[in-house]
Amino acid sequence: MNTYICRYCRQPSDPGSPTCPLCGAPVDIRSVVSDSGWVEQPPIRDMARLQLGQSHCQVAGTTVPAAEFTLAPEDWIYFSHHVLLWTEPQTRLTNMPMKGAWNRKMAGLPLIMVEARGPGHLALSDNHAGEIVALPMQHGQQIWVREHRFLAATGNIKYDWYPSDVWYETGQDSDDREMHYPMGRYGDVFGAQAAPGLLLLHAPGNVFIRDLRQGETLLIQPSSLLYRDVTVRMALHLEYPRNQGLSFWRSSWSYRSIWVRLWGPGRVAVQSVYEPAEDTEAIRRHSYATTHRW
Amino acid sequence: MIQCQWCQAQNQPGTTSCQTCGAPLDERNKVSDSGWREAPRLRDMTEFRFSGSTCQVEGELVPVAEINLHPQDALYFEHHVLLWKDETVPLSSMNTGGGLKRSIGGMPHIVTVASGPGRIAFSRNAPGEMVVLPLHPGMELDVREHAFLLASHTIQYSFIRIKGLVNLLHGGNGMYMDRFVTAGYPGMLILHGNGDVLERMLRPGEKILVEPGGFLYKDSTVQMSAVQMPLKTGLLRHGMYLAEMTGPGRVGIQSMYVHHHAD
Repeated sequence: MNTYICRYCRQPSDPGSPTCPLCGAPVDIRSVVSDSGWVEQPPIRDMARLQLGQSHCQVAGTTVPAAEFTLAPEDWIYFSHHVLLWTEPQTRLTNMPMKGAWNRKMAGLPLIMVEARGPGHLALSDNHAGEIVALPMQHGQQIWVREHRFLAATGNIKYDWYPSDVWYETGQDSDDREMHYPMGRYGDVFGAQAAPGLLLLHAPGNVFIRDLRQGETLLIQPSSLLYRDVTVRMALHLEYPRNQGLSFWRSSWSYRSIWVRLWGPGRVAVQSVYEPAEDTEAIRRHSYATTHRW
Repeated sequence: MIQCQWCQAQNQPGTTSCQTCGAPLDERNKVSDSGWREAPRLRDMTEFRFSGSTCQVEGELVPVAEINLHPQDALYFEHHVLLWKDETVPLSSMNTGGGLKRSIGGMPHIVTVASGPGRIAFSRNAPGEMVVLPLHPGMELDVREHAFLLASHTIQYSFIRIKGLVNLLHGGNGMYMDRFVTAGYPGMLILHGNGDVLERMLRPGEKILVEPGGFLYKDSTVQMSAVQMPLKTGLLRHGMYLAEMTGPGRVGIQSMYVHHHAD
């Protein structure tokens, strides 16, 4: 068998298959790249299969695709309970203990994960029109993922979560002060441990990926970031447009754009559906940020 | 003749979509390894017939059903799915009975009836697909509330209470389901499923556990009950329930739903 490197998951793959058996990306298509260098992640084809150990995952549907798992007896996956679409009665489901329940509750994160062990079938889906993104991970590889985008991972992928270093506070008085976390309060970090594994995400809208060179920077909408290599650094960026005298009803200090600045090297992915940052009061303090005033 | 794999109707050779349900005839069925079959995605501008009327499906992300009603035909629907209509198409109301009970169950009090001749169009407000279900005489189909788009007047409409306190408290399907029954005549039932729609035929006694929010429709022969899973969710560690479907019969699910215990 000739091998080639899948241009999306960067793993050795099978050119004889219509889709990459590791990430599901179509093999027989040309890469779609924007003028500025964003590579469009092709949607996983309907009914494409991904191999994970002795088990496999089949992606069904195109609008809100579902990931259907056929689990071998020795394999297991974990996921948040609210993405479970259906399961066969014989699939063993158990709770996966999580640390920091109170903090997760405050951050709106799921409090429990569910482990599903084979043999058996089950399917997972999220509730947004969009794409499933499959990320095969090699031993030692780590990926940061925006909260609420995780769909499932194989049992040999370690999951941890850390506070987001991107935040700002608004309000003048102690009564109306409010903390804002434009990327979410926490971020998920997944790492492959002893063996390769598979991480599945669900992204609303379309997905675009880009490789940042050493020191290359990029400004993006904070909530559009889907995942990044952990080598990519990020920080808040505040941009204040020039006041043309039209914003007399508000302080020029509250007329601004909230960005996240990314620094290479590494791979980043954005989703085309995002929640714009709230346009509220002036920022009184914030996490480390770069600033630009026009 | 070509037999449609979705509705089993016979079609003339050379036709590319079923004249009875609109399903593409020149595509293979998409069936997952565990037996879930995707409902056929209707191509943009596909047209099919029921009774003396025609239905044209427009759009693919949030598809619209545009009906050209024959003078002898009528159809009924929930009033908030009406997208546009000819001025001349008369509307009337159908008494569903059980007004207070429907109100408590979050279902509309009134089902609206449109009579031919004229054109009228319907859509729901979520990305998804249209599920076209031609019903033969003697069929009974249960549909989750707020999922039906329209039904032809030859189909009897009623609603059933989801039995059992556990179902009401934990099942997540609401308190009532719409029930559509054909007596002496065939009819046309069109649903809107959020996201993608998958169907599975359960053998007698075969069981499948479905997230209640994902349930879309079932044959009335399929028994549905809520079962508690060996899992605890939320800060208070309350139980997690799924809908247990027991065959024989069809079960349809949608891949996009509001989870009923998403904390």
